[in-house]
Amino acid sequence: MVPFGGWDMPLNYAAGTLAEHRACRTAAVVFDVSHLGTVRVEGALALERLQAVLTNDLDKVEPGRCQYTHLLDETGSVVDDIIVWWRTPELFDVMPNASNTDGVVAALGVSNEKLQVNDVTATRAILAVQGPNARAMSSAVIPEAASIGRFRVAEFEFDGTTCVVAGTGYTGEDGFEIAVPAERASDLWRAITSVGIEPAGLGARDTLRLEAALPLHGHELGEGITPLNAGLEWVVSWTKPGFRGRDALAAQKAAGVDPVLVGLLIDGKRPPRAGMAVLRGGERVGTVSSGNFSPMLSQGIALAFVHPDVAVGDCIQCEARGSLLEGTVVHTPFVAKH
Amino acid sequence: MNHPADLKYSSDHEWVKVEGTTARIGISDFAQDNLGDIVWVDLPAQGLHVEANGAFSEVESTKSVSEIFAPVSGTIVEVNDQLQDAPELLNRDPYGTGWICVVEMSDPTELDSLLDAAAYESLIGDE
Repeated sequence: MVPFGGWDMPLNYAAGTLAEHRACRTAAVVFDVSHLGTVRVEGALALERLQAVLTNDLDKVEPGRCQYTHLLDETGSVVDDIIVWWRTPELFDVMPNASNTDGVVAALGVSNEKLQVNDVTATRAILAVQGPNARAMSSAVIPEAASIGRFRVAEFEFDGTTCVVAGTGYTGEDGFEIAVPAERASDLWRAITSVGIEPAGLGARDTLRLEAALPLHGHELGEGITPLNAGLEWVVSWTKPGFRGRDALAAQKAAGVDPVLVGLLIDGKRPPRAGMAVLRGGERVGTVSSGNFSPMLSQGIALAFVHPDVAVGDCIQCEARGSLLEGTVVHTPFVAKH
Repeated sequence: MNHPADLKYSSDHEWVKVEGTTARIGISDFAQDNLGDIVWVDLPAQGLHVEANGAFSEVESTKSVSEIFAPVSGTIVEVNDQLQDAPELLNRDPYGTGWICVVEMSDPTELDSLLDAAAYESLIGDE
């Protein structure tokens, strides 16, 4: 167990990170991701408030859908990346990262009779079932949850308890995430693992998201990093009236985005690590933001912020405590998403 | 966890198997279990001189990078090249095929300061 954003999280279970990782790519695993926050936003003004605060445009979706979005500060830095579960016309579950929940609550502003903002994180657990067999294996115990569509959200009954399921995840695999009242979390965990779905920990969650080139707040997103730096302009709606940080972001777009996020594939097994310098032709062009060993490729992989003229196919080196790791700039994700 | 009685151990979690004037070196079962899945070993060069308690290698797992310290002083006369392609041997067989290197000892009296299995187990029991 390791401390993580105020939670005690399992880094791995008995099988170990590599086995858990491979199980997610080839079968199915379950993660306890209760450390994600849930901020419930309700009321007649809920949609309007979220539209004014978050970068993506909720008008592109509808109740019963999920949307990936960002919360920026006035400089355009990403305060957090968030999944919004739009449950019913006036009910949204906004899901920030563990340590950022208070900041997201503050950004959404004070409650009034037409807008209620409440941190309900402590009332529920979240279990993520992920992998190519996630639906088939879990359909024996939670058939309604197992049939949820991609990026859809709905309520379902688990053994007499109302839960919420969303067709979302953070592994690059098919699957879904369930919010279950905290007092029934162990029962749901036992039901899911009873059909042979193996538990997976924080270690596998990180190597899986890295292979899928999904950003991690504090590495690819955060202070001094905008959605444009991270290659996530699709999360930004330029057509809606406005959102916090829009002016700074528009100015950055006009001036040219520097640095930009790219994927690096190392020739050998040695993992590049966050903070390593990235060199091209002996000259420093950037810094690794996340790096590790890719269990599926059996090679080192990394995400790195680099000078915008660095292109796919360029040969690079990562500076590793005195030695150089040879590699190439590649298209991401490193492993095909499903 | 398994810590064979015929080996000596350092407080940095390396084991030593004395083979005449040489010492075979690896990491303990406790060490491999704590590191998690090992994905890379930065092998030392043959012929390298190492000082007792000096770092001479690094192992990397999916979660961290850790230095390996020489339990005794001497010259590295053999390196386990198999670990280059199969670092997982450190997890799977830490006292067998997962050995790291063999050192020709320059001062065998240093062995006296290492721990036996019982003392090592009481050390890790406190960690």
